Amino acid sequence: MTAPTMTPYRSDAPPGRDGFAQLVRAEWTKFRTVRGWLIGTLIAALVTMGLGWFAGVGGSSSCSTGNGPARSGRSCAPTFTQGPGGEPVTDNFYFVRQPLAGNGSITVRVTSLTGQLPIMNNHLGNPNQQEQFRPGLQPWAKAGLIIKDGTAQGSAYAAIMVTGDHGVRFQSDYTQDTPGLPGAVSAASPRWLRLTRSGDTITGYDSADGTHWTQVGSARLNGLPKVAEAGLFATSPIYQSFTENFGGGSSGSEEPSTATGVFDQVGLSGSWPAGAWTGSYVGSGDYSPGIGSYRQSQGRFTVTGSGDIAPVVSGPSGPGGPVITIANLLIGTFAGLIALIVVATLFITAEYRRGLIRTTLAASPRRGRVLAAKAVVIGSASFVTGLVAAAGAVAVGEQIARSRQFIFPVSWATELRIVVGTAALIAVVAVLALAAGAMVRRSAAGVTLVIAIVVLPYFLAIIAALPDSVADWIVRLTPAAAFAVQQAVPAYPQVEAIYSPAGGYYPLPPWAGLLVLCGWAALALTAAIWLLRRRDA
Amino acid sequence: MEATIEVSDLRKRFGSVLALDGMTFTVRPGQVTGFVGPNGAGKSTTMRVILGLDAADAGTALIGGQRYQDLRCPLNHVGALLDAGALQPSRSARNHLLWLAHSQGLGSKRVDEVIGQAGLESAARRKAGGYSLGMRQRLGIAAAILGDPPALMFDEPFNGMDPEGIVWIRGYLRSLAAQGRAVLVSSHLMSELQDTADHLVVAGRGQVIADTSVAELIAAASGDRVQLRTTARTEAMTVLAHAGATVAVTGADTATVSGLAAEKIVTLLTENAIPFSEVSAHRATLEEAYMELTRDAVEFRAAAPEEAAR
Amino acid sequence: MRMPAALHAEWTKLRTVAGPAWLLAAVVTLTAAVSALTVQANRCPAGAVCAVDTTRLSLTGVQIGQAVVAVLAVLVISNEYSTGMIRVTLAAMPRRAVVLAAKAAVLSSLVLAAGVLAVAGSLLAGRLILPGHGFTPAHGFALLSPATPSVLRAAAGSVLYLALIALLSLGTATIVRDSAVAVGIVLGLLYLFPIVANVVGNASWHRHLEQIGPMTAGLAIQATTGLRSLPISPWAGLGVLAAWAAGALLVGGLLLRLRDA
Repeated sequence: MTAPTMTPYRSDAPPGRDGFAQLVRAEWTKFRTVRGWLIGTLIAALVTMGLGWFAGVGGSSSCSTGNGPARSGRSCAPTFTQGPGGEPVTDNFYFVRQPLAGNGSITVRVTSLTGQLPIMNNHLGNPNQQEQFRPGLQPWAKAGLIIKDGTAQGSAYAAIMVTGDHGVRFQSDYTQDTPGLPGAVSAASPRWLRLTRSGDTITGYDSADGTHWTQVGSARLNGLPKVAEAGLFATSPIYQSFTENFGGGSSGSEEPSTATGVFDQVGLSGSWPAGAWTGSYVGSGDYSPGIGSYRQSQGRFTVTGSGDIAPVVSGPSGPGGPVITIANLLIGTFAGLIALIVVATLFITAEYRRGLIRTTLAASPRRGRVLAAKAVVIGSASFVTGLVAAAGAVAVGEQIARSRQFIFPVSWATELRIVVGTAALIAVVAVLALAAGAMVRRSAAGVTLVIAIVVLPYFLAIIAALPDSVADWIVRLTPAAAFAVQQAVPAYPQVEAIYSPAGGYYPLPPWAGLLVLCGWAALALTAAIWLLRRRDA
Repeated sequence: MEATIEVSDLRKRFGSVLALDGMTFTVRPGQVTGFVGPNGAGKSTTMRVILGLDAADAGTALIGGQRYQDLRCPLNHVGALLDAGALQPSRSARNHLLWLAHSQGLGSKRVDEVIGQAGLESAARRKAGGYSLGMRQRLGIAAAILGDPPALMFDEPFNGMDPEGIVWIRGYLRSLAAQGRAVLVSSHLMSELQDTADHLVVAGRGQVIADTSVAELIAAASGDRVQLRTTARTEAMTVLAHAGATVAVTGADTATVSGLAAEKIVTLLTENAIPFSEVSAHRATLEEAYMELTRDAVEFRAAAPEEAAR
Repeated sequence: MRMPAALHAEWTKLRTVAGPAWLLAAVVTLTAAVSALTVQANRCPAGAVCAVDTTRLSLTGVQIGQAVVAVLAVLVISNEYSTGMIRVTLAAMPRRAVVLAAKAAVLSSLVLAAGVLAVAGSLLAGRLILPGHGFTPAHGFALLSPATPSVLRAAAGSVLYLALIALLSLGTATIVRDSAVAVGIVLGLLYLFPIVANVVGNASWHRHLEQIGPMTAGLAIQATTGLRSLPISPWAGLGVLAAWAAGALLVGGLLLRLRDA
């Protein structure tokens, strides 16, 4: 008897494709079919935008009077002098000048730079107190040569100068700064400076002996009229004394200082039609005390001035009053992050709670790919959420803030970098949370861990009682470094200020900061995949 | 203290789903009452309402005449096993029972007693998270009898039990009833209750479909049919039909006869010299009786095999 | 059902799993360690004027330790929800308000005990490290001592603060029933107020935010100098946090009673 041959069962169903795309699709289906996760994602977007709008409103109820930048019309927003690039600048100095028609140059020897610093009074309560001075130089006190597009506030210029602590510098259009000869100036070691104009291009030279000249820098001032103002200048920035403050960065008191430069051996070439020098103070406003004077005797010019020719910086050391940056409109990122950290962690830990992970891993035994697919899904969903939230917070927040506060103008490229960078930051943190969840397999532990390494460092850096040096390292090494991508205003080395994370300044460049976070996420994801492969499900 | 569980006219709605629609029954002392019905019939919801975990929209559930919320030490009045997995995996079985005992003002001595009764001595100090489903059921049963209550409820206690465990639990449930306790056992597998339950409450769509003793139910489902086995089927059918019986062919040499008593059939066949090898009264299984009752109440009917294969 | 039995049961629950003990140990070590590191990082050079509240500086670790307290408190109830054990608990103890009260009592006692150790460790670190970093009595900084009334207030207040954070977290977790969501909400509530207040330029809004934030208000209790410049007075600040905790527990308790388990 022959045994009946049994044909083994073969499914008629067309075989499913076994690719990464299918895994991603499966994980996406898992993600979108849990209502709580969608709600969490929505909440993340809403709180991010809502807090941004709140920050936009943030200063409206008080238009403080008194010392503060000038304000325009009915609006509470302060106005600033704007430089050629539209950035807020200070343009206050004492100017000994005469017109320069067409090409030409001016050479001078600087034999001394001295100054007066205020005796700081830490009790700010008495504004009527007579200001008292002691001899001393603000590090960025300046005296030198300048060629400028008239004396209008914010006009283009190029200048070469000696400074209090930073040697010879060539600066132009407020934001540009190039170093020249180092060292302080004195009668024993004077500095020769030269500024030449050729068309729109101004070039600065320095020399220690008046014979060997070195080019320090040159700048092209577009649209410089044929007749520009040129001559000697002196100015000295606000002197700030900072106190490390517990529980909120630093507080400082700010008072004006003065600088006095002594020039001789003035040499002119080219066309100087006026033939005589005029001295006047350039600038106005509450922050410039208008101190300045000049004396001329036997070819020797003594010029004293106060103020600065430099960009305005934001933050606690900025000019006070309702001034914000785009980064302030994105403060809700933290709330959004927390919501998405919860969702991303649950995306994996929820599988462990009820044993769904076994079904998942039985359906796709290549475990690394499962986690990678999850990362793709949660990363993409978070990126889109972050993009919508950040764009909404910035776009609407700017409208809200416009009439109430001064928003530091930034280029559209910077704005795009901040918005897209914020979305990327949120996406990478979500992937980090997923990896942490896969490693610890418990929701509460995962969420706490990720909040502790992403949000707490930022909190510690800006709020807690850590010195700025420690805070700097925290935002360099921890995932919180990625918040550098939100830095709206660059730190200008030629402006004395505390560039701390609390003021929106980060030690790392924007994308480098994001890269630090990516490094953390990559490390965590690798470790998570390794553990997932190694452990029993 | 009266050992009864009385449920009357419970109603509860979860969103669009009507979970309980006038559920009414009484669990009496001294017997095992089976609580059966298809999935979604409202068995677990009823038990949760009895324990005060879910609030009914209407109706009452009383333990010995009292609302659960008013019981001072509730585990001394009714013990329950709802979900064997409902414990913190990192806690040992003994410690799980210990906190439960402390909540009722009981001490560790009682804990060790129930561990012995549930047969968990060897595993009691291990983390409960590592238990098999069967061991968790035993732990759940130990928790239910912790307060030595006169009334007990078990939701699907046979789930995950091995054959030896099922035999143990059947005997254990019977012994609990024999001590005069009221025991309510839910199950969706009738065969498990066949030799255990004395009384049955059959639920469907949130209501009680039948509330009857097991003996009556099986008798009703069996009817007066007689099973006949014979090599001369045609002759037998002619003779029996002539005598007024209805005969249904069920196989090559078998038929089911109704309308005639078994003795009468034997007499008729003998008189006509028709050979037969078996004449027996047909006895329905509990499963059949149950299927007949719940035919209309099954909420999720299984798809036909051909369909399922596609 | 009586309260003592509920307390006994909840105490047994907490002591029979390893998690709470580890978390309490973490509260103590993390608080003291962060405090010590912060003190270590600060210096007052000779001749400089340092506007530093050394007591508050020494208690910085509380700002981090509270996160662990929050996790512990959340897990006390959300673990029962995630495993389904809450049904066993509520079947054994049908008076749900009593269950929550018992949990709150046992939890806050444990956190108080851990808080005493954490705060004592922090202050000890401050007392040992500060004089070496220029914060000497000669410089105007007295040695930290619990005999000083303001230091005692800051220390005792910090311990109470941690207990109130535990209650706030317990209440929140009872409301949302999920550990991840509860931890997210609690840590958000704590840390977002100071972060958002930091960018709000308007002084009075800034002040109001710090007055209503559970952490910013509650930690006013740590101040021993410059009380006038605080957004809220020390005890009133702790009262704000207590109101948050009471509100969360009240809503949580109400929902626990009304909802099906």
